[in-house]
Amino acid sequence: MQQAVGSYVLSLENVAKTYPGNTKRALDRVSFEVAAGEFFSILGPSGSGKTTILRTIAGFEKPDEGRVVMAGGDVTHLPPNRRDLRTVFQSYALFPHLTIGENVQYPLRMSGMGKLERTRKAAEALELVAMEPLAGRLPHLLSGGQRQRAALARAVVSRPQLLLLDEPLGALDLRLRQQMQHTLVSLQKELGIAFVYVTHDQGEALSMSDRVLVMREGRIAQLGRPQDLYFKPRSEFVAEFVGNSNMLPVEFTADHGSYVGSIGGVTFPEMRGDKSGKARVAVRYDNVHIYPAKENSGTSRLSGIVENVLFLGTNIEVDMRCGDLRIMGSLPAGRADSIVAGQAVSIGLDLADASVFHV
Amino acid sequence: MALFATPAVPARFRFRIDLPQVPVYAWLALVVLIPNLLLIGTSFLSVAEGRIKFEPTLGNYVRLWHSAGFWRLLWKTLQFSLLGAFLGALAAYPMACFVGRAVRNNRSILTVLVLVPLWISLLMRVFSWRLILGQNGVLNSSLVSSGILDTPSSAFLYTGSSVVLTFAYISIPFIFVSTLNAFEKIPQSLIEASQDLGATTVQTFCHVIWPLTRRSLAIGFSLAFLVTVGDYVTPSMVGGINGTTLGVLISSQFGIASNWPFGAALSIALIVAVSVVVGVALWSCPQRGVFSGDETPSGGPPPGARPRLGFIGGSILYGVVVAFLYAPLLLMVVFSFNDSTLQAFPLQRLTFKWYAELAGNSGLIAAAQRSLVVAVCVVLVSSIVGTSFALILHYRNLLYSRAIELLLTLPLAMPSVVLGIVMVLGTEIVGVPPGLARIVIGQASFIMPITMLLVLTRLRRLDPSLLEASLDLGASRLQSFVHVVLPLIRGAAIGGMLLGVTLSADEVMVTLFLAGPSQTLPIWVFNQMRFGFTPSVNAVFTLLGLFALSTVLIGQFISRRRAID
Repeated sequence: MQQAVGSYVLSLENVAKTYPGNTKRALDRVSFEVAAGEFFSILGPSGSGKTTILRTIAGFEKPDEGRVVMAGGDVTHLPPNRRDLRTVFQSYALFPHLTIGENVQYPLRMSGMGKLERTRKAAEALELVAMEPLAGRLPHLLSGGQRQRAALARAVVSRPQLLLLDEPLGALDLRLRQQMQHTLVSLQKELGIAFVYVTHDQGEALSMSDRVLVMREGRIAQLGRPQDLYFKPRSEFVAEFVGNSNMLPVEFTADHGSYVGSIGGVTFPEMRGDKSGKARVAVRYDNVHIYPAKENSGTSRLSGIVENVLFLGTNIEVDMRCGDLRIMGSLPAGRADSIVAGQAVSIGLDLADASVFHV
Repeated sequence: MALFATPAVPARFRFRIDLPQVPVYAWLALVVLIPNLLLIGTSFLSVAEGRIKFEPTLGNYVRLWHSAGFWRLLWKTLQFSLLGAFLGALAAYPMACFVGRAVRNNRSILTVLVLVPLWISLLMRVFSWRLILGQNGVLNSSLVSSGILDTPSSAFLYTGSSVVLTFAYISIPFIFVSTLNAFEKIPQSLIEASQDLGATTVQTFCHVIWPLTRRSLAIGFSLAFLVTVGDYVTPSMVGGINGTTLGVLISSQFGIASNWPFGAALSIALIVAVSVVVGVALWSCPQRGVFSGDETPSGGPPPGARPRLGFIGGSILYGVVVAFLYAPLLLMVVFSFNDSTLQAFPLQRLTFKWYAELAGNSGLIAAAQRSLVVAVCVVLVSSIVGTSFALILHYRNLLYSRAIELLLTLPLAMPSVVLGIVMVLGTEIVGVPPGLARIVIGQASFIMPITMLLVLTRLRRLDPSLLEASLDLGASRLQSFVHVVLPLIRGAAIGGMLLGVTLSADEVMVTLFLAGPSQTLPIWVFNQMRFGFTPSVNAVFTLLGLFALSTVLIGQFISRRRAID
């Protein structure tokens, strides 16, 4: 544990928590470490325990077991106001009776900083998020995006070691979300503060983070770099949650000394296994290729009917039925006009790096 | 080019009267504006040889300005009420903080427990303090029997402090109910954000909780101040000569002294002084900012928070204050079963004779019947008028509807002694004789606005898209009203009715001016107490208290059932 204190700003050791009145654990012996200056995301569906982790780190919840260690030492029993970290609340939690400037000055004022200096520091922090002109306004006069940036400025003004963000972009519309993602990443690089970012949006987590922790029912499902999660999911849950994947049943049969898989009765020679029997394979939407039904190149194809086409801007999502199977494919939007519902298609699957999970 | 086209008149300058608005304006004029203007007018008249001289004069005001006695009395009046409200705030504010923020279970029971005294006759609450403080009272008899005093002291009752104590007692529920809501409304995330940003508990209180609750405290303080400053019954009952206030003086001008113009001028002076005090209270506690609505609602402390020192302290405070609120009332109930004409411990045999005595008292029964008639009339008028006015104000675009709403509720904000006089003048001018009709009008003047406000609050909280949805689903306006709006405001209207019943049945201050010979129950009791005390009064009050309590319980039951629906 010596090393954890040195190079990590935060370390959770076997943290467990059960809420009163519940039998199920909200957190079940969770351990991980966050490095200095790292953008660390916690990803999971609602109820998976990600907010509990955040509240435990911040000090609003006491773990039943385990320790929370920060650079200065064990903080498990320290009250929130004595931890060197800040939270950006999902609701922003700006004080309604204080102007934006006063809100940002708040932590400095609490620590007894003089008025002149804290005004200057608050102005600096507001400048970081391009909010300085609005310093004199009360929170209810701002838009959602502006409030969000004010909350961010308030959280970073005293330069904590660690910033906790609880689904901070949840209430923003798509365009603002994308803008804020860029703001967050550049702010994080500029300040060098470690971010622990809680979200249920896998796109957000993958695009911004250095590492992502996937939570499921109070346990860690997987922890790794975004590309690890995306290309090498360790469980069906992670594959489905992170990768926008089809989970297709596959049957492996012996073939020339190893095993070959077939889906929906069609054999895919490039899918080799080390075991016979039933399994499931995760095929990401973008590894599904769609061809006109008449075209047949001789490689393995499934034939299906297009049920639905969703236009998503840069790409389209095609929902297809092949016998009992439902397969979703993602294509560049340029092909939108060539695919219509009810059309018969031939489906190719790129299985080279597909993850196989034996049942 | 239409060179001579009629200039477009902006919509707000067009004079248009919408038929449903007529009753609103009529009520406003007859019940609020004209009576108040009469008061102002009367204050500029004078009295010669027992008759009012209709010649404008500033004489009354000149007399007040030069009277040292008046200034002393005014100062004393304000002092009593300010001190009472201040002491009340000292108890109620931390208590509201405790119930609003620290308690998670049974919060509604803890709230109702503090509010119940509001529904119990003011007369009863004041009278019960006489039982404690009087020469033969519980305090004296226990001090004498424990040997601390040799003879009963007269130092407790009929002093300024006894008035202040009783005023504080009256103030607590008002201040509690106003501030409780403010404490409950603060989102938990704000408290957490403050801690997260490095604030200690004390800092969080000073910089977050206090600024977000001080406005409500000022409102509760003003409310309590308004109620006690217009109270001329309490000072005369527990204050005696030392407790004389401006209210007592004003009421005597409309009674024994019979100098209406001077009484009117005193009332105006009181209103001005009260406005200044309330203005200062509200000014010194400004409200800044509004909740944006995206904060997570407060759920009290997070689950799993362990009771801490503050919680234990809060519980103790709560217990002490509630004991303070109920002890006098319980004492009165106990004495109503005590077989002795002396209101002192030790208790004698259990008896029901005081209750039996009531049954044979024809004056009492007549008064009770009268009270019932008055209450039914007042509640009918108030709920029908109040509900329709709320609907009109909400759904019809009245010009200056906000100002009209404020004016309609003006009687609620007036010191009761002044409201009493205003209603005397207003009914006198249109020839309504003293008696039941006058009482009904006088009580409706302040009970109607309560119903109206309750319904209006409910209407404003309704999702406007509900009505649109109903229209969209093919219901006509009338159908939408009957099937959507009415069921949703019914609870508020019924709540207003129940509140109206208890208020009407307990009202003394305004009714005393209007009743003439037709005494309602509380007036009858008040007169009994003035002319000599019998323990039957305890029994009457116990019954009245039971009546008020059961009304509250029925109301709670109905609203709870509605909430489950």
